[in-house]
Amino acid sequence: MRMPGHVAAVALLALASGQGQTQEPDVILRALQDEVTRTLQLQLPGLERPYYAEFALHDGESFAVSATLGGTVARRNNRFRLPSVQVRVGGYEFDNTNYVFSDFAFGARDAGRPPLEDSYLALRHFFWLAGDAAYKAAVQAIARKRAALKNVTVTENLPDFYRAEPFQIRNETPRMHVDEEQWAAVVRRVSSEFADFRHLIRSGADFEIVQSDYYFVNTEGTTCRVPERLVHLRLHAMALAGDGMSVRDAVTFLAREPDGMPAESELREAARKLALRVTELSQAPVGEPYTGPVLFEGEAAGQMFAEILGRNLAARRRPVGEPGRPLPFQSGEFEGRVGSRVLPDWMDVVDDPTQAEWRGRPLLGHYLADLEGVPPSPVRLVERGILRSFLLTRQPVAGFSASNGRARLPGGFGHKTAWFGNLFVQAAEASPLEELKKKFVSLFRARNLPYGIIVRKMDYPSSASVDEVRRLLARTAQAGDGGRPVSLPLLVYRLYPDGREELVRGLRFRGFSARALRDIVAASVETFVFEYLENGAPFALSGASGFVAESTVIAPSVVFEELQLERAQEQVPTPPVVPPPSLTLRR
Amino acid sequence: MRGILRSLALGAAACVLSAQTSPLLDILTAELDRNFKVLKEKGDPAPYFLAYAVSDTETRLVSATLGFLEGKSANRSRLLDVTVRVGTPQLDNYHRLPGDRPRFSAAVPIPLEDLPAPVRQIAWLETDRTYREAVQRLIRIRTSTQVKPAEEDPSPDFSIEPPEKYVERWEPLQFPAALWEDRVRKWSAALGRRREILVSSVTVFAQRETKYYTTSEGTRLQHGRALARIVISARGRAPDGMELSVGETFEAETPDRLPPDKAVMEAIERVARNLAALERAPEAEPFAGPAILSGRAAGVFFHEIFGHRIEGHRQKDESEGQTFAKSLGTKVLPEFLSVIFDPTRRSLNGVDLNGYYLYDDEGVKARPVVVVENGILKTFLMSRSPVRGVERSNGHGRRQPGFEVVSRQSNLIVESSRRVPEKKLREMLLEEVRRQNKPYGLYFEEVTGGFTQTARRGLQAFAVIPILVYRVYPDGRPDELVRGADIVGTPLASFSKILATGDSLEIFNGFCGAESGSVPVAAVAPAILVSEIEIQKRETSQERPPLLPRPDLGSGLFR
Repeated sequence: MRMPGHVAAVALLALASGQGQTQEPDVILRALQDEVTRTLQLQLPGLERPYYAEFALHDGESFAVSATLGGTVARRNNRFRLPSVQVRVGGYEFDNTNYVFSDFAFGARDAGRPPLEDSYLALRHFFWLAGDAAYKAAVQAIARKRAALKNVTVTENLPDFYRAEPFQIRNETPRMHVDEEQWAAVVRRVSSEFADFRHLIRSGADFEIVQSDYYFVNTEGTTCRVPERLVHLRLHAMALAGDGMSVRDAVTFLAREPDGMPAESELREAARKLALRVTELSQAPVGEPYTGPVLFEGEAAGQMFAEILGRNLAARRRPVGEPGRPLPFQSGEFEGRVGSRVLPDWMDVVDDPTQAEWRGRPLLGHYLADLEGVPPSPVRLVERGILRSFLLTRQPVAGFSASNGRARLPGGFGHKTAWFGNLFVQAAEASPLEELKKKFVSLFRARNLPYGIIVRKMDYPSSASVDEVRRLLARTAQAGDGGRPVSLPLLVYRLYPDGREELVRGLRFRGFSARALRDIVAASVETFVFEYLENGAPFALSGASGFVAESTVIAPSVVFEELQLERAQEQVPTPPVVPPPSLTLRR
Repeated sequence: MRGILRSLALGAAACVLSAQTSPLLDILTAELDRNFKVLKEKGDPAPYFLAYAVSDTETRLVSATLGFLEGKSANRSRLLDVTVRVGTPQLDNYHRLPGDRPRFSAAVPIPLEDLPAPVRQIAWLETDRTYREAVQRLIRIRTSTQVKPAEEDPSPDFSIEPPEKYVERWEPLQFPAALWEDRVRKWSAALGRRREILVSSVTVFAQRETKYYTTSEGTRLQHGRALARIVISARGRAPDGMELSVGETFEAETPDRLPPDKAVMEAIERVARNLAALERAPEAEPFAGPAILSGRAAGVFFHEIFGHRIEGHRQKDESEGQTFAKSLGTKVLPEFLSVIFDPTRRSLNGVDLNGYYLYDDEGVKARPVVVVENGILKTFLMSRSPVRGVERSNGHGRRQPGFEVVSRQSNLIVESSRRVPEKKLREMLLEEVRRQNKPYGLYFEEVTGGFTQTARRGLQAFAVIPILVYRVYPDGRPDELVRGADIVGTPLASFSKILATGDSLEIFNGFCGAESGSVPVAAVAPAILVSEIEIQKRETSQERPPLLPRPDLGSGLFR
């Protein structure tokens, strides 16, 4: 739902505050506004003043509890205020950003921490020092950027910052009471469901509720206060196969509020199903290398689109580098491909964060303003298979002229990273899933394959350990097939022509990139809503970053004409010398 | 109540395993026994030692700036560290190789409840992981020791120590949060009022740690201690851009033993006054000459410059300085000085000592250790890793959860037989200034310690950073504060130039960071007079102070 109050003139007047104007009633916004206005007066002798400044504050609280086999392994309460400050010198055409050292602090500066309590002066004190430090860093950055540009030539002459209409929104959603003891007990009880499954060597339930508000002001007159609410519950389990290979799976539940969570009985049921599935996986045969048609069904299709398509939809801009030094920058696979085909000509992709719900179901990817205080608008990204647009922040990129309100994650070089909200993947030519499967069978039979591969779940966001992610990234780098890291398929089935299915383990994709999306040959009428937390980390690894963008993908099941799968692990560790302890031990 | 118990602390430490059983200790021991038995039978190579250590830590923190809370947390965790030793005590997986420090510990969380199933599952997995890594490293060591020439120090890798049994009941942490929140608000408001101060905070921290330790040798321990701390911190910037930082801390075992409001308010006044004085103070000039170190400064000096060099493992590691490796029985300090490390000393002059404990992190009983007696080096601080000339532990194997044990300091106590009253010490300084024909001497009132890591991958330099340094003039002018003094090089030589000491002991309580993590320590010393110490100007940022005035200036301050 879009909020009204798009009133630029009022905003500017409010900024000029001081005399005569009604005082901003929200003490945080008032402190941010008064101090950000003063930031424009900053000036080092002989150097330029800021032309733009923004102050932001995530103000919130969280409660997290993790349990394994009925025992609490972690319990955490966190009250936080996370500030962010940006000061720009120069002008919209050329400023201190889009340069390799734009985020560099240039010397030790420490503004301390903002107060957790609502003190107008203590808040201003913090932002006074933070703004001062940001200004001094900005003038250094722009000087170095100018010096660097004496020695490097930039092929595209783009401005450094898009202008944006001032936007005002104040959504004061009260915070809910969280019954911490009750949730801690539920999480313990759900985690104890795993105790009946002897094959599991690790298991657990993690619960977290975050209630925060995002405050944002800038010197252009934008003032935002928007709520951020999230409840997150994850069940995970791991087992060892007889050959020592570890297999795992996880289930995640997401909602805006505790009432959106399934009942305890459903959670327990989900835990038991997960345990059975992981047990089944541990007993499944190791998959054989495969080249041929692949069906992504349900959730797996949403996960695949989020990862393979989603990460390429954000526009990326190469920063100005230092002569002779490598740039810490990787371009997207869709760079320079606006107007080219990226999907079959019967597919469209639209991102619409303005939709709060879809077919009666609330959508997690809905938001009112992005991290730069820009309200999102619906964007047709792909039309009839042709790439038409990117997800944009206020970082200018070639071929576009304004942000479309997608600054959702922290970024680099003085800018934010774009991510989608509610990504609708639409197929004009679609058949019911049952027919799609028949089509799929005829596809692999035409190639004389004994079976086709169905993927029902990808490890995205990943529940892997950091070590495992590191190994995966290293292997992709070594593979030399030009592929970018793609998360592991967790649930892979062989579908035989007679309709029989067989679960296999230990496979991964080889050379799977956005290029393959053009080889989608069929889609289902049925769509699946996949919701997750994107954090910008490889495989959106759970817990890898404190910053998340709630994201939704609404997509049909799809068939790829040809993908390649290979064994995921060349070697597996030997099974433990000591057998596992009995889990039926009770006090 | 605790005050009376305090004097009996040594006696209390002698308790044996009592009737009160600890469920967690029993659960850990059962899983340890099961794992050790199977690994002994089927492991190749088999382990000869297995230990489970659990640190159950409850921490509370409240912090405020400018009269308002800026931080607040309450945490409890139980972290498990598994130690596996494969090979033999003579040569095992902990053998030191130059530039390759063993690290097997991972501090994995276990449930806060004493539940057998999850605790045993996690302990089993962690034992498996640690065992695999231990075997791998042992194979690497065997290859490496066969390839390389004989090592200088042929000591074994692990000493044999008697098993210990002791279970202590522990009270939960008492922390009236609302009371402390009010106090830090008030204290931080008083501190922040001073316009010279840019960033300031007052933090109160309290912790209770219970350690569980069980080994395949039969050691069963459950013991703990509490720590509480007030940290006052203020930072500012001189007009020329030099960053200035002043702070004071108070330590006690429990929050209720922290000093009263009045003492804290006085400390806040001192911190504010000192920061203001530093902003106006002239910059230090390069200088070499006589100096007095206050008792607290001397304590830090001894801890950083001397204490770290007599930690046992440094004598063995060929990538370390090994300053004193061959100095046992020789004179390393003036004959009027002795240095004792006494972890059994719980308090001194009514102040709790941070380096107090009953057992170290290898389950070895704490004891006083005379390291230097009348200037002669007698022994090193020892964990269970022997070095040439010292075969057994003396209860100084310490670590933070997640790190491997090395020998660390406890309560360092400097004793002197050449004591003079402080006034006389000052006169002696001025005499020395005149004798050396110097314009002034120096008085180091406050210093802080730290360690730096160098490219050689080891902790090489334990540094001392002066905070408050005064010039002391022989002509009767008042002492003059200077800012930005840095001590030149490693002032180990200064120790041979100690002329005399003061007659009262001062206490520095702190946390020491090194390769086995952060551990609480104390240093107790009298003021010392040295004939020479060398300082230089500190290299510092030339950034200007904030360009705009403080937002509250002229607006009637906070609240």
